[in-house]
Amino acid sequence: MSTDTKKPDIRDIETFLYDEASLLDRPDLDKWIEMYTDDGTYWMPAIEDQEDPLNHISIYYDDRVLMEIRRRNFVHPRAASKDYKVRCSHIISNVRIESITDDELLVTSNFQCVMYYNNKQTLYAGKYTHKLVAVNGGFKIRHKRVDLINCDGVLGTIIIYI
Amino acid sequence: MSYNDTDIAALITPTMIHRRVYTDPLVFDLEMQRIWGKAWIFIGHESQVPKPGDYTTQTIGRTPVVMVRDKQNDVHVLYNRCGHKGAKLVDKSCGTVGGGFRCCYHGWTYRLDGKLLGVPHMAGYEGTGFDKEDPQYSMQRLERYDTHRGFVFASMDADAPDLRTWLGGAGDVLDNLCDRSPEGEVEVAGGILRYEHDCNWKMFLENLNDTMHPMIVHRSVVDAANSYMATLPANSPRRDEAEIIPPFGASYENFEATGITGFRYGHHYDGGKSSIHADYTVDPDYEAVMLKAYGKDRTQEILTFNTHNTLYYPSLTIKSAVQNIRIVRPLAVDKCVVESWSFRLKGAPDSMLQRTILYSRLINSNGSMVGPDDLTAYFRMQQGLQSQANDWVEMHRNYGSDEDHGDRLTNVGTSDLDMRSQYAAWRHYMLGEAA
Ligand code: FES
Ligand SMILES: [Fe+2]
Repeated sequence: MSTDTKKPDIRDIETFLYDEASLLDRPDLDKWIEMYTDDGTYWMPAIEDQEDPLNHISIYYDDRVLMEIRRRNFVHPRAASKDYKVRCSHIISNVRIESITDDELLVTSNFQCVMYYNNKQTLYAGKYTHKLVAVNGGFKIRHKRVDLINCDGVLGTIIIYI
Repeated sequence: MSYNDTDIAALITPTMIHRRVYTDPLVFDLEMQRIWGKAWIFIGHESQVPKPGDYTTQTIGRTPVVMVRDKQNDVHVLYNRCGHKGAKLVDKSCGTVGGGFRCCYHGWTYRLDGKLLGVPHMAGYEGTGFDKEDPQYSMQRLERYDTHRGFVFASMDADAPDLRTWLGGAGDVLDNLCDRSPEGEVEVAGGILRYEHDCNWKMFLENLNDTMHPMIVHRSVVDAANSYMATLPANSPRRDEAEIIPPFGASYENFEATGITGFRYGHHYDGGKSSIHADYTVDPDYEAVMLKAYGKDRTQEILTFNTHNTLYYPSLTIKSAVQNIRIVRPLAVDKCVVESWSFRLKGAPDSMLQRTILYSRLINSNGSMVGPDDLTAYFRMQQGLQSQANDWVEMHRNYGSDEDHGDRLTNVGTSDLDMRSQYAAWRHYMLGEAA
């Protein structure tokens, strides 16, 4: 793993975030998981400013093990909830580099995701926080946090990562 | 059409349910009055309102209520309605009002037990017949409220049986949840998830002890977990997920053997001697504090009373072995909200709450790989029952062989005893038949 100490080009980061989003648009979980480090995690908190995924309930909190299970479940022919097509359109904006340390970039952005599932179109919106590490001239995701603006509201099924 | 009692009675036979019970808004309206308006409904837990002025809000059917602690430390359940023109006094799911309630509209103020204190600018009321001391202008108390080991229930029926009688033998599971704390007490912790369900509220309840569905509905997540776990080296660290997910694929024989126990008022549980939670690894630190508190025999007794799902009809369902509860809130004939709550066992290591949280996230969350598959089945029933092809839903399995033990009925775990118990209670509340 090589470390890039100079400030990265914001356009490279944006392109990386767009690439991730387009894998979720389809969704292609096989390729999406590959964008994460081995210790990578994905977190969708259930309250504003949630500090802790272990002692407080979350909507999602997956490490690689759960991502691997989810990837297999998502294409299982007998999963009734997966009988319906899932298509998403993610828009990402307001991308900012919040901090740079030796081996990690903290990037925040705003997102809107329109999800089509089971004959219904649902709009999700909120803020992404990505912890990125530089790997072989590109990036990998060590942690992605998805703060929905309605995280503590009454929500229906969220069938796939946003 | 409208329903008289004969029409209602014709909707349920000992083994069949008419589809209108799930699809007709008029039946839903009657259920809100006669079931939700009479039964003891779970409102909250005393640990949610530790200080005077702390409150939580809930609804009973369509009726907004507020649970609040007063200055004498008593917990009250009040109708959340101003005595003036009816505005809700508080509108958050929880919070504090300090010394008393104050209406947002014309500023009437109330004591924490609901009594009207102040009305601004009383001058205009002189000689009008309005009497501020008349209790009708106070916030009204629910007809009945009571607690059992910190769990607060309320009923809008002044003639409801007392709470302990109503819980009956099913109360053992609530006790077991609390006894699993070395201090014998639990507290609400780790937040609440609210999951909207596009189905009739009873479908969620009828699924709790429906042990004929997990091996079908949850096969995909069990397969996915097993096939991934099989790729891991043999000496990989133990994962709680590997203990929590696979039992959902347990065999018919396995579920059959766990048994179902049904009680008066529609309560029931599956398991007892064993359940799909029975083989979890016991955290040695937890075991140590339990042994210290209770000794060997009592600890053994507490931890081996292992139920899966318990229903306190119609509002509260608990999993004592994993310390979480789900409560159902009906919104319309085809819509309800299911809330998932977690409990901390006081005096137990943090790992216990963390397992509870993990369980809720893996099984109950709207982003989980379990709950959404259940919901898909309910949603399809809601759609399918619009069909006029067949007016009836059946619940025959093991009918006629329920064993009567006086205060309870038992049968095999795969029986429809749970549904038959629920519909006996449905007829009790809807038609006044004996519970
Ligand atoms: S409605 Fe509450 S003070 Fe008027
Ligand atoms: Fe299920």
